[in-house]
Amino acid sequence: MGSRESILAKLKANKPEAIDLPKIDLNVFNEDLDLIKEFTKKVEIVGGSVIEISNDEEVLTHLKKTFPNTKINFSNLDNTQSFNTIDLSTIKNPRNLEDLDVLVLESKIGVAENGAVWLDDNDIPIRVLPFITKHLAIVISKNNLVPYMHEAYKSLSNHNSSYGVFLSGPSKTADIEQSLVIGAHGALSLTVFLK
Amino acid sequence: MSHPKLASIFNKDEKRVDWHDKALWFVRHKRDMSAHSVKGWEELRNLGHGIKAHMLSNLDNYLIQFEENALKNGVQVHWAANGKEHNQIVHKILKEHNAKKIVKSKSMLTEECHLNPYLEADGMEVIDTDLGERIVQLAKEPPSHIVLPAIHKDRHQVDELFQEHLGTKPCDGDPQYLTGEARKHLREKFIQADAAITGVNFAIADTGGFVVCTNEGNADMGAHLAPVHIACMGVEKIIPKQEHLGVFLRLLARSATGQPITTYSSHFKKPQPGSKMHIVIVDNGRSEQLSRPDFRASLHCIRCGACMNTCPIYRRSGGHSYDATIPGPIGSILSPGKDLTKYSSLPFASTLCGSCSDVCPVKIDIHSQLYKWRQIITKNTPQPFVKKQSMKFMGKLFAKPSQYETVGKIARWSLRNLPKSVINSKPNTWGKARDLPIGPKQSFDDWYKERENNKKSNDQ
Repeated sequence: MGSRESILAKLKANKPEAIDLPKIDLNVFNEDLDLIKEFTKKVEIVGGSVIEISNDEEVLTHLKKTFPNTKINFSNLDNTQSFNTIDLSTIKNPRNLEDLDVLVLESKIGVAENGAVWLDDNDIPIRVLPFITKHLAIVISKNNLVPYMHEAYKSLSNHNSSYGVFLSGPSKTADIEQSLVIGAHGALSLTVFLK
Repeated sequence: MSHPKLASIFNKDEKRVDWHDKALWFVRHKRDMSAHSVKGWEELRNLGHGIKAHMLSNLDNYLIQFEENALKNGVQVHWAANGKEHNQIVHKILKEHNAKKIVKSKSMLTEECHLNPYLEADGMEVIDTDLGERIVQLAKEPPSHIVLPAIHKDRHQVDELFQEHLGTKPCDGDPQYLTGEARKHLREKFIQADAAITGVNFAIADTGGFVVCTNEGNADMGAHLAPVHIACMGVEKIIPKQEHLGVFLRLLARSATGQPITTYSSHFKKPQPGSKMHIVIVDNGRSEQLSRPDFRASLHCIRCGACMNTCPIYRRSGGHSYDATIPGPIGSILSPGKDLTKYSSLPFASTLCGSCSDVCPVKIDIHSQLYKWRQIITKNTPQPFVKKQSMKFMGKLFAKPSQYETVGKIARWSLRNLPKSVINSKPNTWGKARDLPIGPKQSFDDWYKERENNKKSNDQ
């Protein structure tokens, strides 16, 4: 008997009698959050910043001002040819993205309770992009904010992505004497543009 | 070595113990603030407990469902009965891909199976990429905490380690500089890696996908850059549906560090084009633990470390004193199931105060399980002669109220009148590292009787 069969047989023999799956009552959690206010607060708590905008052009204007001399930039917003300095279709190996300076992506779900935004492979042409870039900017519509993770997963149930991430703030660590340092392996900064 | 012996080594440096104690209590405090700001927190814990209990009661079928979906997604699935088989499987996959340089993100399971030395014996380079894990790896030590692996080290020790191994400049332990240097060093490793190994925080039966949570982004840097990704999971990591992540992701980071969620909660389902993804499902004693009704709830654990941060013993004895991959209260109920003799002192490393159970996000009755292990261990493993005799003596004493009263009187008098050199002398283990209180003149019994008499006289 292979390990698969022996493990499954043991688990079957040793498991307790069937216990029902509890039902999740979302009303218990509801506290009528002001979504924009809560989301903004949480993004700032986790080390990111939030900027409200009225159109996509403001994103690029702001980024060019904040990061003036960056060499390698990429955005997946429409009409950003002037900003993009690389063509992703020519990237054969994700390792070649090592020097990426600024990356702009769009998200379809933001979560107010923790400031997380959802990105999946419909938004990320190459998976390593949001991690390997030095600076990350996310654009999200105010209409796409949900209060809690429960609602986020509800809207994800229609998506069928092969990879996705809830991303909350820039990369960080506190492994040296519990001192918080922003910028471990992933992005050194996160700016969320709310439109 | 037993827990008290190893703890006494940690306790030699009193300043470090104080720092360790305070640092962890600070994390516990952050957990409290975070938990109290969530409406319905207790209901979340109930749901976490209930979903895990349901999962365990149908574990075999959920694993089959998970496997079926993972295979459909193009992921290869392997099964390992124990740590040895797990290591062999991982080694074989790496060999097949001709992988020599491996980056690993934090995984307590691979620690449990001692994967690194196994692969290193064949000349492979295994780099732990979580900063805390990298620090202890350079120091050739195991992690002392499951969320904060290097919590027992101070910044100057890290400074010295980095100077020695990474050639950094002396910086008086500047965390910003040291983290920056680690970023450069590890980025090189990510770029060169032939394969990435990660753990699994949650595996979802109805999608065949799995979730990995990190703050640093190291799991993603590894998995997306290397052509091969191997994810290793214990059988108990399964949850039935994706929507249940809504419960567990709300609980995990808040309980662990007080953050509202980890920076990255990555959902892996299919390999990216041109690369391979493998999942190794490991038993290694878990099915055995499932057979014990009193202890099976220990398999609910989502590895947040909250029980360690709150435990008065863990905070003052350090993770290494448990001599187990999972230390602290949760480790003390998991380990005896694996080796009752080796871990016989762990369930006694507790005040039974119940704080661990109070903070557990999935409501494991940790302190009652510690108590239950004590009963089993006392019956099944040889106990020290002095402990056995003194328990017998105390049993007899407690059975005779008059004798107990006399002994109490002597003890209270002694605590008031005998010099410290006698009271804190060697035979009195209670006086080892602390001063004992001055004995009161009155016993509790006397005090109670007096109180009742006063009540009566007031009533009249």
